[in-house]
Amino acid sequence: MNCGWNRFADEFTIICRCEEVTRGEIETAISQGACTPDDIKRITRCGMGPCQSKTCRMPVMAIIAEFTGRPLSQVASPKARFPLFPVHLEVLATMPNRQNAEVIDILLHAIDNREQTGE
Amino acid sequence: MNENMTHYDTIIIGAGVVGSSIAYHLSEKTSNILVIDRHFPGAGTSGATQAWVWVHTKQPNWYAEFSMYSAEMYPILKKKLVDIEYVRTGGIAPIFDEDKLAKARELVKGQQEKGIEIHLLSKEEALAKEPYLSDQIIAATYSPLDGNVNPMRLNQAYIQAARRRKVTFSFYNPVTQIQRRGRQFVIQTEKETYTAGQLVLAAGTWTPLLAQHLGVQVPVRPVRGQILITEPAPRFLKHTVSGVRQTVNGEVLIGYSKEEAGFAKDTTWDIIGETARFGIKIIPALRRLRLVRAFAGLRAMPRDGLPIIGPVQGVPGLFLAVMHSGVTLSPIAGMLMSEILAGEAPSFPLEPFRLERFHE
Repeated sequence: MNCGWNRFADEFTIICRCEEVTRGEIETAISQGACTPDDIKRITRCGMGPCQSKTCRMPVMAIIAEFTGRPLSQVASPKARFPLFPVHLEVLATMPNRQNAEVIDILLHAIDNREQTGE
Repeated sequence: MNENMTHYDTIIIGAGVVGSSIAYHLSEKTSNILVIDRHFPGAGTSGATQAWVWVHTKQPNWYAEFSMYSAEMYPILKKKLVDIEYVRTGGIAPIFDEDKLAKARELVKGQQEKGIEIHLLSKEEALAKEPYLSDQIIAATYSPLDGNVNPMRLNQAYIQAARRRKVTFSFYNPVTQIQRRGRQFVIQTEKETYTAGQLVLAAGTWTPLLAQHLGVQVPVRPVRGQILITEPAPRFLKHTVSGVRQTVNGEVLIGYSKEEAGFAKDTTWDIIGETARFGIKIIPALRRLRLVRAFAGLRAMPRDGLPIIGPVQGVPGLFLAVMHSGVTLSPIAGMLMSEILAGEAPSFPLEPFRLERFHE
């Protein structure tokens, strides 16, 4: 199964279409110590684009398997994050705040801090 | 333990922006340095941040001054390292309420006394600088010193530069035991056992777990922050606005939440919704941008919010470099640590950053 994914890919083949990351760049990241798709993402942006690695996850995992000699089943998957597909911010803004969680205004926070330290 | 132990003059535990900056700066002065990380650079706090290089509004004012000295090192680092996407955009903190205006004036005055360039802008001045700000603001504070950087590139750039100077890095190598034996530290890891004359703990919010091996208490806890990232958009934000910034790539990062949630790195509905409202309140045009991902990171927060940098009393050879705002402070923390590790006098007094302040 491993070689099936990559048989037609050379070092110039684009693996991550969103961020235009090639197989060569992925291999360089692995040679610098990257072991998982998330490690590779942090170095190359592979999987960081709009599709959030839904397209490139398997090819990337297969390249890691091939390079490290591990079976594909032992290669970590990229971390799946919210949302599954892009959502407008105005839609998210309608979600209720059940726990009264707070996002802080940095300037007001600084002013409050100043009052506490009394400087 | 009869196994072969590899000796290094200095071992740094933690390869985030702080640990790798120390390694890079120290490699300009000494050699025989090892950096160990239990994971891969960027997997912890250094990869989960908005990565502002932020000076103005920091409190107390002397701490803002300290942050300024670090921010001033960035233009030089930008020349010395590979591209780290550092941009000195200038920073704007908008004000919405009349009753906060007088207090903001005091803040501006206090920071100006420390030599920090900071201005109080009228609504019109702020909107002229940053046209996409909400017209509901009544004023804003501004400093040209603020900016942002790509934290993953910064981390990798420190590591690459240090590697060129023969610093050794060992990733995916958790430390299992630290002991002091004679004048040396014996550091057991999953891969190997090492000895070192000097040991630096720069593992951010995970530092207390390491320091415990040596009976040292480090009052640092994780404080969670959740950040939203939008799809890339043409450049429309010129400045780093407190809570919102646009990357070189075009995505917008939004968020400044603070939660006590232990080591849990989950994102939550409440904060995602609240962050979307917060972003739209400051920059209404964000309404029509789409979220592509949300993530959480853990700030390394010392009990008083200020950095812990320097030697540990009673354990000769042990040093700590733990701080919130590691991105802003990594240049100066790396420089100061390299000075004291090389036996030189630090070029900024480290007195306020001593660990012992918590016991007094």
